[in-house]
Amino acid sequence: MKFLHERLPNGLDVIAEVTDSALSTSVGFFVRTGARDETDAEWGVSHFLEHMVFKGTTDLSADEINRRFDWMGASANAFTSEEDTAYHAAVLPEQQDEVTSLLARMMRPALREEDFATEKLVILEEIRMYDDQPPFGADDRCRAAFFGAHPLARSVLGTVASIESLPVEAMRDYHRRRYAPGNMVLAATGAVDFAALVESARRHCGDWEPLPTPPRRAAAPVRPAAGEQCIVRPGSVLEYAVRLSAGPPGDDDDRFAAKLAAAILGDGSGSRLYWALVDTGEAEQATLHHQDFLDAGMFATQLSCDPEDARALLERILEVYRRTSEEGIGTAELEQHRNKLAGRWVLLGERPRRRLFDVGPEWAHSGTYRSVADDLRTIEGLSLDDVRRVLDRWPLHGPGTTVLAGPLGADPSP
Amino acid sequence: MKQSLFSARLSNGIVVLGEDLPGLESVAVAFHTPAGAIHDGPGRCGLANLSGEMMLRGAADRSSREIVEALEGAGIQWAQSVSTSHASFAGAMVARQLPVALPIYADILRRPRLPEEELDNARQMVLQNLAGTEDDPGHRVMQALRQLHFPHPWGMPSEGLSADVEGIGIGAVREFVAAHVRPAGTIIAAAGRIDWDDFVRRIERLFGDWDSGATGTVVPGPRGERVRHVPHDSQQTHIALAWSVPPYREDASYEASAALSVLGGGSSSRLFSEVRERRGLCYSVSAGYQTLRDAAAAVCYSGTSAARAQETLDVMLAEIRRLPGTIQEAEIERVRARAKSALVMQQESSAARAGWIAKQWYHLGTVRSLAEELARYDRLTVASVEAWLAANRPAGLTVVSLGKEPLEVPIEVPA
Repeated sequence: MKFLHERLPNGLDVIAEVTDSALSTSVGFFVRTGARDETDAEWGVSHFLEHMVFKGTTDLSADEINRRFDWMGASANAFTSEEDTAYHAAVLPEQQDEVTSLLARMMRPALREEDFATEKLVILEEIRMYDDQPPFGADDRCRAAFFGAHPLARSVLGTVASIESLPVEAMRDYHRRRYAPGNMVLAATGAVDFAALVESARRHCGDWEPLPTPPRRAAAPVRPAAGEQCIVRPGSVLEYAVRLSAGPPGDDDDRFAAKLAAAILGDGSGSRLYWALVDTGEAEQATLHHQDFLDAGMFATQLSCDPEDARALLERILEVYRRTSEEGIGTAELEQHRNKLAGRWVLLGERPRRRLFDVGPEWAHSGTYRSVADDLRTIEGLSLDDVRRVLDRWPLHGPGTTVLAGPLGADPSP
Repeated sequence: MKQSLFSARLSNGIVVLGEDLPGLESVAVAFHTPAGAIHDGPGRCGLANLSGEMMLRGAADRSSREIVEALEGAGIQWAQSVSTSHASFAGAMVARQLPVALPIYADILRRPRLPEEELDNARQMVLQNLAGTEDDPGHRVMQALRQLHFPHPWGMPSEGLSADVEGIGIGAVREFVAAHVRPAGTIIAAAGRIDWDDFVRRIERLFGDWDSGATGTVVPGPRGERVRHVPHDSQQTHIALAWSVPPYREDASYEASAALSVLGGGSSSRLFSEVRERRGLCYSVSAGYQTLRDAAAAVCYSGTSAARAQETLDVMLAEIRRLPGTIQEAEIERVRARAKSALVMQQESSAARAGWIAKQWYHLGTVRSLAEELARYDRLTVASVEAWLAANRPAGLTVVSLGKEPLEVPIEVPA
């Protein structure tokens, strides 16, 4: 496995993690832009634009793009998060040039008014779809409350109102500013011909105008708000709760230790919360995970259970956190979860299409590359002291924001 | 592409399958026992699911907790599930841990304690999961569709029904495990970095002296009504359609799944182009092929705002009706390319391959090589797909909607 990097004169980074034994090639464009880079008037534009990129260029229709991906046998998709927008496809190695060229051309979309109007309807359906599903918006609402004035408070999809009022010109302007070559990374993993990848990049992206790289909005440090809110869903069977508290940000050396601490306390199986609440059938789900951003991090607790038990179980979860912080954890427990995480990493690392989602964003965020072996060394080196430090620095039972969604708080009379 | 597939049969009927995948560090192993939900029995829908959960709650000298600690301590990513046909236990791991994993799974399958004191917790866990699925409209509409479309008990939800799960006692669980978790009909499949001879020796040592029980038979009952609306308080209305197509073990299943792929398999499919891209009616719309061993269904799905649901259903039905006689060469080329690349990429995941070779054995009684599978796709032509469609026009559709208001289902649907 080797890592290669080249920068085009206009600032576009081309990177690859090459695995000669791989059977497939994954290629993706990672744009350093997401919900946190939007203004109030642009709320939801990053994700809407991600959809519009598939609607074609001045000389390539949406149907043509869809047909080409399917004709290549590509497994193609895209995602938008708070900090990234990515377009990716996994193909057999012989399709590398074809898929790179298609993705590259798509990065300069036509953004036609009539396509914009039709796709707006699809985005509104996507918003309604998530709104109908557990946790019924509790996750977005909780993040908004937790981050307060920080740009990470903004939800990726936007709202029905923000999408309805978005004009196409705002999207065109956002695209011009944010999709500058210096703000993008072309990444590939698996069986990659790197010379050909760079050649494709030169041919299809070499003439992109080298605009100055747009800065990310400077943000004040997160001051997590403590508090509780309810979203009332009288028809829901279970109650869904999300609790956020502060954790190490992406540039903090403790981010791996934070993931291990989260696994020990709240992995989907074999964790403290699992034995306390899930194994006993008191909760459908009780998990903890750590998520990091450029300048912020958070621990997210998720609970689903019978509505009448929700508050008591939230208290029990905090009690598990408090006790763990006071009494610490044992060596066997550390080892079990460290080995579990390491095993997970090896399995994920074998799949180039999965690796792309580590390699691409890592470079986009920090300009660094970490191999699976690097990550494994870090995970295997984690000690009881590392977990202890994380729990001391970022107390899980400390201030947090909680949002409940479900029948709680509904008017009892029918 | 060179491929190393292996199979063996123990004297008690266990089928052992293996695929060596060079280049991987991992190995995945899956144990499929014939203790599926079709054996639940009347008034006990969920018995297989509850029994599968109980099997993890102590086996031989390990408690529930010690089983999980032993698996996770060795870095094994484990999973347990119950389908219509099987109760399955699986693990994926770094190859050197396989000798640690196998004896643990042997205990779970052969020596489960099924302790009475764990039954209430296990039952509550199953009930919690059932309550969770009540809140998921997509899950509910597909569950209702299967229940109506397939003959009883093949359409029954393998996760169970709350009212039935409430009443299942420890005696029923123990009887179920004794009767259905047995060597005859069990498939053990491993894929990844394996040493086949060593693997078979270990399986023989751990499972060779497991006594075979009798084979269970299931009598097919009636199917449900053709059209149903499920009231649900949601902004979107969910639509699910099904009609019968040949099961995987029949050669015509390739023509059937190719036709369905043209209809709703990729982003250039008819449904995606017409319903989402051109009309912006929904976020998700698709058609796919779902197979049991003796029956299979074409399944279409979409979810959209209540106000636009009728139009969505009408357009979906129009696209289904329009399919015979209109298939293009380019569409078949895309079906072939998508299938080929999916098959090749599957080889990068040990867990996916272990699942695939076991599935093939269950359906076909053999494992087809990748070359043979690819050749079958190469043999697909417009003429072969059209000939199949002409003789098997989509008919007898089952239509389920879930949302605030029922939809109008045209009378001519089963035509």
